[in-house]
Amino acid sequence: MKPENPFLAVLALAAGLLFLSPVLYSIWMSFQTADAYYTGNIEFTFHNYEMAIGQYNFARYLVNSVIVSGLVTLIGLAVATCAAFAFARYTFPGSNLLFGAVVATLMIPSHITLIPNYLTLAKAGLLDTYAGLVLPAVSNGFAAFFLRQYIRGIPRALDEAAYMDGASPLKVLWRVIIPLSKPAILSMGLYIFISEWNNYIWPLVAIGREDLYTLQIGLARLYRVNPGEDIIDWPLVMAASTITILPVLVGFILVERHLIRGMMMGAVK
Amino acid sequence: MLRRMTPYLFVLPLLGFIAVFTYIPIVQSMNLSLREWDFLSPTKPYVGFDNYRLLLDSREFWNALRVTAIFAIISVPLRLLLALFIANQLLRETLVSRLMRGALFLPSVTSTVAIGVVFSWVFSTDYGMMNALLSSFGLPKVAWLQEPHVALWVLIFVNTWKQLGYDIIIYIAGLQAIAPELYDAAAVDGGRKAHVFRRITVPLVMPTTYFLLMISVIEAFQVFTIVDVMTKGGPAGATDMLVNMLYRVGFNLFDIGVGSALAVLLFAFLITLAVVKSRVIGRKVHYEA
Repeated sequence: MKPENPFLAVLALAAGLLFLSPVLYSIWMSFQTADAYYTGNIEFTFHNYEMAIGQYNFARYLVNSVIVSGLVTLIGLAVATCAAFAFARYTFPGSNLLFGAVVATLMIPSHITLIPNYLTLAKAGLLDTYAGLVLPAVSNGFAAFFLRQYIRGIPRALDEAAYMDGASPLKVLWRVIIPLSKPAILSMGLYIFISEWNNYIWPLVAIGREDLYTLQIGLARLYRVNPGEDIIDWPLVMAASTITILPVLVGFILVERHLIRGMMMGAVK
Repeated sequence: MLRRMTPYLFVLPLLGFIAVFTYIPIVQSMNLSLREWDFLSPTKPYVGFDNYRLLLDSREFWNALRVTAIFAIISVPLRLLLALFIANQLLRETLVSRLMRGALFLPSVTSTVAIGVVFSWVFSTDYGMMNALLSSFGLPKVAWLQEPHVALWVLIFVNTWKQLGYDIIIYIAGLQAIAPELYDAAAVDGGRKAHVFRRITVPLVMPTTYFLLMISVIEAFQVFTIVDVMTKGGPAGATDMLVNMLYRVGFNLFDIGVGSALAVLLFAFLITLAVVKSRVIGRKVHYEA
């Protein structure tokens, strides 16, 4: 690493902190009592978190978000990896057309599916269920496309060797392709998990029961409970917001470079 | 026989999900847009293009189209210009530059609802950070989210703040792909910084710019969450975007016909845009360095 101009370095860090200051301050505020906040004093408390988790059921919303995002990620990865393997390794009648249909979903704006998917799930009796949140989110054209590109970069000789030993295609996928695609699968897993964690419009449409709210819906509702400036309990709202942000924030700090590299690979291919 | 079926079995689950939740719904939306229905009544009478006529005759639709267009036309170029400029400063692999990339990228993976809530506080009239800042300079308070002429700009600001980091990361990837020899050659020729930026950086990073342009326009025309959280389209429709209107018509008024007509119009527009752009990209972008 090259040495820095210390003056520029300090300036840059200050700019970075300023850029993130609204979020940083919101976390700080979540540990303040409402009284202290409105009178401009400083008084630490966990009361806001106790309220959010106890009275406002955010523990439940957190569990819901983990379950839904986790399921979407696992099923989404499984489905995308299988398809990516087939598109990378086989040429079959219709393969170009079908791959085209997968890639085209990247251009299809999701709002067009909102009303029909609501109707489909209503007919299947899946509104107000985890399945209703998970199923429409499972197919991910980007992940399939990305993984297919990645798998094409793995030498075919490795597949051939396994086939020689009498392995089935499923075994080749499981024993050869998936272990070698780990970085790409991990990147896509993170990408799917974060997108689903932050998903708002679909849970808003598909969920009416309070005990199935995800964090996003719970937070939006809590903030809107008392519309109108003066009655909002900002420190409480910020505690809820911090609960909503924190898992992704921590994950992001742990794997930031990995995630960013994944994004870059996806864009440049 | 089984051997020939193998690839189909592998792609079947993905294609099944895509068919049921993406492609069939497009056809369903088109069908529903020609019918009158309220979610409940047992019949869905065919009404031709009445829903489209209703939509095109309503002030609500033209207002939402105008607001969304302004949002897109301002925020997309703003994002791309800022991102290219900042990315160009963060190319070196130093600790500071890496920290900055992380800080700038963070909002783009953060919950939009949480960001909406946090910035609703930042821009709240009585207790917000912005007005506290203004007051400390002796300036009068602004009702950021209640003032029709101001609220849309606040949303553009917040959206730019959130998305900028993603654009920067993609630009950095694009900029790093430019061959260093080109810069060396320009340096030998004594090119000034601004000149090099205009004559080498900007044209050579064009594929990235097209890519970002495409996804950010599509994204801008589908903006929903930040508006739903911060303004609900208000005050007085000043920030009412197309998808917010779609949600209201479909899921608050239960007018499936008009809601679907709106969805189909927006869909047709965005698909046309995407196709035109992929043509343009196909033609213009194949002169890699």
